[in-house]
Amino acid sequence: MSVMTYNGAAIIAMAGKDCVGIAADRRLGVQLTTIATDFPKIFQMQPKLFVGLAGLGTDVQTLKNLLEFRMNLYKLKEERDMSPKVLSHMLGKILYSKRFGPYFVEPIVAGLDESNKPFLSTMDLIGATSEEKDFVVSGTCTGNMFGMCESLYKPNMEAEELFETLAQALLSSVDRDAVSGWGGIVHIITKEGVLTKELKGRQD
Amino acid sequence: MMHSAESQNLKDGEVSTGTTIIAIPFQGGVVVGADSRTSTGSYVAVRTSDKIACLSDHIYACRSGSAADTQALTDYIRYYLQQLKIETGRPARVKSAAHLLQKLVYQNKDNLSAGMIVAGWDPVEGPAIYSIALGGTCLKVPFAFSGSGSLYITGLLDSEFRENMSKEEARALVKKALAHAMARDGSSGGIIRTVAITAEGNDRDYTSELPYGPVSY
Repeated sequence: MSVMTYNGAAIIAMAGKDCVGIAADRRLGVQLTTIATDFPKIFQMQPKLFVGLAGLGTDVQTLKNLLEFRMNLYKLKEERDMSPKVLSHMLGKILYSKRFGPYFVEPIVAGLDESNKPFLSTMDLIGATSEEKDFVVSGTCTGNMFGMCESLYKPNMEAEELFETLAQALLSSVDRDAVSGWGGIVHIITKEGVLTKELKGRQD
Repeated sequence: MMHSAESQNLKDGEVSTGTTIIAIPFQGGVVVGADSRTSTGSYVAVRTSDKIACLSDHIYACRSGSAADTQALTDYIRYYLQQLKIETGRPARVKSAAHLLQKLVYQNKDNLSAGMIVAGWDPVEGPAIYSIALGGTCLKVPFAFSGSGSLYITGLLDSEFRENMSKEEARALVKKALAHAMARDGSSGGIIRTVAITAEGNDRDYTSELPYGPVSY
């Protein structure tokens, strides 16, 4: 089994009308054995900025800590919050700095910028970044997730509809993947705040 | 350690019924059960497959390992048992089905990847369960469990199995064990199929209730 499918993950982020949503599965496995069903893969870096990390579990945790450290340094020096675009670029640089011995993680950045406009980006494990206006996916079942997003996505969805679309896209995708699933978690970020809901999924 | 598609003798792209299969006897018959997931590596190729093959009126086989190999094997055994019925004028014995399967698996052990459970009822022995392992070992057992997911329920079955259960108790135990295995094993999942085999007839059922998962803190 390849190093990117060793622990299993599925993360989707979508943009709506003045809001973004990011959803992930909850499984942590060792190849085909499930170890935990509450492993966090989405991390809130700032009130309206989330990072989703899909890939090798140890690198997910390490990179989360490294990102937090770098963000805190930035806030101390710059005396302002980090915008999603800056975080995305910084993450890309961190990953490329390990070009020949990479972190085995493919991250997603989702948030609202200073004018509450949605921001979405994804990158590969060595930092090639791609900013998107509609949706981004990462994990062990990206084929499934792309199919679901292309079919279900509509532009300018309100928060409730965005939640439903994200939830359905994620749950159907992980049902066809043996190493992701076992529940889900969805965060919807609007200018008022963040709504977090847990998804009840198939426990298989 | 764990068998992924790469470490089993599966060819590139070949599908595996990485699986959990069980057979539990009760008074007057046997309940066989299986999950329904067929996977190629981590992709779930079929999520409602039927791994319980009918070999004859009162004999069923549960398939695990390579889907192609086990389908071919059960087709052969079904054909042989039909011939036996015509030649002898009597329904085939579970023992005959199991030993025919053993012969096929043992003589082709280098080219096959098949772990199967043959279970059923016959007028000579009553309920009987045979387990046929990868190399062609054939063992008559009081109850059987096999497949990648069976590792997670060995303790559960050892502690909960009792002789002379009723049909409902046996079915409930089969479903409970399969649900636990499907929660922990990535290559088992989907629906729980069960067949209760008795002298009077067979009763096929399925459920998609999976109430168990690893406990979170």
